[in-house]
Amino acid sequence: MVPTILVVVVLALYPLAFSVAAALNDSSLGKPFNGWVGLENVESVLGDGDVIGALIRTTIYALAVTAVSVLAGLAIAVALDRTTRGGSLLRTIFLLPLLTPAVTVAILWKVILSPSGGLLSTVLTDLGFDGSALSPLSSTALALPTIALADVWEWTPLVTILLYAALQAVDWETVEAATLDGAHGRTLLLGVILPTIAGAIAAVALIRLVLAFKVFDLVAVLTAGGPGQSTTTASYLIFQRALQQFDVGQASVITLLLAIVVTLVTLPFVYLMRRAHA
Amino acid sequence: MSSTRMRHGRLGPIGVLVLAIGVLWVLIPLAYLLSMAFMTRTEVISGSYLPATLQWENWQAVVEAGIPRTIGNSLLVAVGATLITLVLATPAAWAIARHGAGGKALSAVILAPWLLPPIVAVVPIFVLLRVAGLNNTLLGITLVYSLVNVPVAVWLLEGFVRRLPGEIEEAGTVDGAGDLGLLLRIVVPLIAPGIVAVGIIITVLSYNEYLLASFILLQPEVHTLPVAISLFQGDRFAHLGRIAAASVAGVLPVYAVAVLFQRWLVSGLTSGGVK
Repeated sequence: MVPTILVVVVLALYPLAFSVAAALNDSSLGKPFNGWVGLENVESVLGDGDVIGALIRTTIYALAVTAVSVLAGLAIAVALDRTTRGGSLLRTIFLLPLLTPAVTVAILWKVILSPSGGLLSTVLTDLGFDGSALSPLSSTALALPTIALADVWEWTPLVTILLYAALQAVDWETVEAATLDGAHGRTLLLGVILPTIAGAIAAVALIRLVLAFKVFDLVAVLTAGGPGQSTTTASYLIFQRALQQFDVGQASVITLLLAIVVTLVTLPFVYLMRRAHA
Repeated sequence: MSSTRMRHGRLGPIGVLVLAIGVLWVLIPLAYLLSMAFMTRTEVISGSYLPATLQWENWQAVVEAGIPRTIGNSLLVAVGATLITLVLATPAAWAIARHGAGGKALSAVILAPWLLPPIVAVVPIFVLLRVAGLNNTLLGITLVYSLVNVPVAVWLLEGFVRRLPGEIEEAGTVDGAGDLGLLLRIVVPLIAPGIVAVGIIITVLSYNEYLLASFILLQPEVHTLPVAISLFQGDRFAHLGRIAAASVAGVLPVYAVAVLFQRWLVSGLTSGGVK
């Protein structure tokens, strides 16, 4: 079994080791390790307002998307857990967004929000407004929330499915005992059932958070980071630096910075998860 | 059945409302995409909910643009990669779950790269493939996917191995089976449902992957579906109806999976996710 474990470890560490090495060297796309520069890349990245801006933007985006996904996903999971008929059909429907390629999810929303003949503009026009005036993807204020909307559509079903499974696994004797103590309805849900699956909720929030931090495909297809830098998330910035400006050294530093930010932001969730399981 | 149903409470009007909103939220965008796939250019631009008559010219354009071949490429790559991933990941998952190989640290190491955006892997993989002369080949992207998905597969499979009662393997050891025999003759048949479930998930992940494919596959004849779709939507001659048709064609294989394997998908997703 040792060889397969070795393969797994090498696979896991190769990108990380490559990033650290590239960060400390003058690295372009053609020549990754072009001479040692020490912390020069780190210094220039830390002084770069675009990088800091993208990291802050990504963090806010990830937290907001996670909050919406977890709340909506939990509500649907609780309802799904109580269905007596049609559960299988409903689960299949809720799996669809999860299985849709992100590129297609992006196109789906592009089509809906298109100012010339999209669903939103058609509905607005029928209601007597000027539908063609609204173009969320070319607005600095609305572009990122629009990507968030597509992101929520794509990944909330994962939250639903995972929390649904957690609800199905709740020990029914605990719930029974609480019912005998007079808990029912909302009290039962908020006071007994949700605390029982708190660990699962923290775990799912963690998964969701990491997925949101990594958003790339939606940005690439919907806005290419614009207008301005309003949708330049960390992943997209890394892509621009590495594959459009060919500065792999700087891209690697941003990658490592992002890893640190993700770790810091997710730590409270890891703590919650551990405490719930203890 | 009735007792299990009573336990978490009844589905009240709020619950029904939540489910109704959820279903509409998922289905309306998809229904609109499907409807648009059958519209003429004029209908699209003037803003319509449904096509007056079903137009097949969008679909003809999709076939002419070679979308079916890219779906074939994607399926080939996804299935091939999944088979290799499972061969690598199953023994690793067993070793970690059963023998505690590597301890807690190993589990952390395996999941660490998942925290990083996949863009990190583009440059190192690109360099590796260039050295191996596998850029722009379906074999190259198959190998990349098969390796990239190993950590996720190990993570998901581990949950299934842990649920096996240990005595079964002990009995096998007494019968004198070696590690490999034990794995192939006892463990694999017992966790076969888990292997299938994880296999389906990994296949879908590979089928949908865009970032790596868009850098490794530059020639049209090796494009996978997500790459082809993203280029198709950027083409200014392709109107929204055609883009919608291409998108619908591309998701049909994965939606078939959802309908046929819903149970397996749910069990595979939940084994690793919330343990």
